[in-house]
Amino acid sequence: MFSLEKISIGVQTALNNSLPAFWALMAQFAIVGVLVISLFAVLGLVLVFMERKVSAYMQIRLGPNRVGYKGTAQTLADTLKLLVKEGLIPDGADKFLFRLAPYVVMISAMLLMAPIPFSRNFQIWDINIGVLYISAISSMAVIGILMAGWSSNNKYSLLGAMRSGAQIVSYELSAGLSVLSIVILSGSLQLSEIIQSQENGWWLFKGHIPAVIAFVIFIIAVTAETNRAPFDLAEAESELTAGFHTEYSGMRFALFFLAEYANIFIVCAIGATLFLGGWMPFHVGSWSAFNQIMDYIPGSIWFFGKTFLLIFVIMWFRWTFPRLRIDQLLNLEWKYLLPIGLINLLLITVMAILGWHF
Amino acid sequence: MNMESIVFYMLAFLVLSGGIMAVTARKIFRSAIYLLFSLVGIAGLYFLLAYEFLAAVQVVVYVGGIVVLIIFSIFLTQAADSDLPKALRGRKVFSFLATAAGFALVLTQILRHNFIPSGSEPVSTNVTEIGLRMLSTGEGGYALPFEVVSVLLLAAMIGCIVIAIKKPGNS
Amino acid sequence: MGFLKNYIKTVYEAVSSLLKGMKRTGYYFTHHKEIITQSYPDNKDTMILPERFRGEVVMPHTDSNEHRCTGCTACELACPNGTIKIITKFEMTPEGKKKKALDTFVYHLELCTMCNLCIEACPTNAIKMAQNFEHSVYDRSQLTKTLNKEGSKLMEGVE
Ligand code: SF4
Ligand code: SF4
Repeated sequence: MFSLEKISIGVQTALNNSLPAFWALMAQFAIVGVLVISLFAVLGLVLVFMERKVSAYMQIRLGPNRVGYKGTAQTLADTLKLLVKEGLIPDGADKFLFRLAPYVVMISAMLLMAPIPFSRNFQIWDINIGVLYISAISSMAVIGILMAGWSSNNKYSLLGAMRSGAQIVSYELSAGLSVLSIVILSGSLQLSEIIQSQENGWWLFKGHIPAVIAFVIFIIAVTAETNRAPFDLAEAESELTAGFHTEYSGMRFALFFLAEYANIFIVCAIGATLFLGGWMPFHVGSWSAFNQIMDYIPGSIWFFGKTFLLIFVIMWFRWTFPRLRIDQLLNLEWKYLLPIGLINLLLITVMAILGWHF
Repeated sequence: MNMESIVFYMLAFLVLSGGIMAVTARKIFRSAIYLLFSLVGIAGLYFLLAYEFLAAVQVVVYVGGIVVLIIFSIFLTQAADSDLPKALRGRKVFSFLATAAGFALVLTQILRHNFIPSGSEPVSTNVTEIGLRMLSTGEGGYALPFEVVSVLLLAAMIGCIVIAIKKPGNS
Repeated sequence: MGFLKNYIKTVYEAVSSLLKGMKRTGYYFTHHKEIITQSYPDNKDTMILPERFRGEVVMPHTDSNEHRCTGCTACELACPNGTIKIITKFEMTPEGKKKKALDTFVYHLELCTMCNLCIEACPTNAIKMAQNFEHSVYDRSQLTKTLNKEGSKLMEGVE
């Protein structure tokens, strides 16, 4: 059976046998770096194409259909265009920060990739505080956005950056609370253990209605955190002309664009890991025959399948709902998501203590 | 020099240079960003010590909280492209002296302290332990400080609401 | 209690209306036959333009090269952007009277917004909207058109 775990172990032993320890470690760093970067590139291409197709079908359009087979090479062509485009820097901009900002956003997205388990024992860094690490690093991306907005020396960018900051900071609370409910249920912050705890069923099903509520809150909050419609006030084309990245062009713009999609992938991967069992195949309590059949599908396929399902849901939101106003946005967070999330957390804690979950 | 010390010196350089640039930069927003580098460097040091929990908390509190707050207050109060006024000579001398005194104090403490080398295994503290300590009332428990801090936070929150709330009939 | 009831009701209504919207887009997503995009230019032969689509102003001529324009300039006056320029001439009627008639109907396609006002203004229904939209040319001057054909004349009985 195809398994990423065996490949990674094979590569590791091969490296350790042929190289001294220090260089083996370096080679591993290099391999991981190349893999992450190429995963990002592929994700960018695939997700942009997916988004364009999904949006097209939802709006009764055809979407890209000329370049390559049924338009599949369209994003490749667009990327080439962005690569050769001139990257302008506005005159009054703070040049250093203007250049730095896209990298801050991108690097924080890359760091988030570290604790995500793609398959059984296939994980860059199985850090023991995985969930906390994720919420810590994801709060770094907002700095990049604020930096970009300020250094552009453009009032629309500044407004966009401020909106985005306010939004991310406030929705982080709800996202954190719903993540916390899974931490309470599984009793661990480590992502691999959280997945292991879902061996006999995913938390979404095992945790009854409170888990479902937590899941819904999580999805809403991460949609807001990734600045996507209906929460895209930060880049609202019609009012702020793309907000914090108004002044960006060429490769720097492409980095922001890529980081947005990478972030979507990451939050969906985290959602899939916490609520849908990550790479864990669909298991039902004690039906061992059924469980065995499910085990034949490799974990990486389960993982990517669930992640893309969530990505699709988030895209579905984007192409269905109109944009919220800033006061509606804050109302939603502080009057609805947060109180409901808190009460829900309480319910889940009671449930976990009494052992009502399966 | 092994891997660890290379990483340590890199992080130390980041922390120190970030700190120095934060106080010398002429643009206040840049100061905030350099401060951010410095704080991230400190988080990196915690990671190097394999104390992931504190590292993550450092990032959550300082990067995600404090620096964002600082940046917001800059956005709301300062013009984007104006330089700060040059510091006065007297203030420069005074701040140099203050820094030197502080540095000397820290240095003497460090030199006088008798460090006990730990084993090669890093001491790991798991989160469960920390959580239990936070709420334990027994020996070495932090229940009282924890609760006091939460009361403090509550007071701060109520204060914010009182300041921000619209008085009825005074729109 | 009333507050709580309201609160739950708001949440319920919000969620259900959002789900309704998602149902609609989900329906479109799965039903590709609803797609209204036409793959122009591949479908040039089978392309269907909506009835009310306006492409340009034309002046229909009969087989005997007659049009219905009297040269009254009502359309020129009605046009909001000076797209139409009517050049008139004087013709001798059989009774020997002088009568104003159309000489050239100049139509600046590049200025036209397809607003249909000229067509509504015309008392004799001499002009109408056509559906041709492939207007691209290499030189702007080619967009200035003369709508009445060479040697055409006013249809009998149109005043
Ligand atoms: S359609 Fe409108 S703009 Fe065009 S010629 Fe007629 S009145 Fe003028
Ligand atoms: S087209 Fe109609 S409105 Fe215009 S000049 Fe001729 S008759 Fe008059």
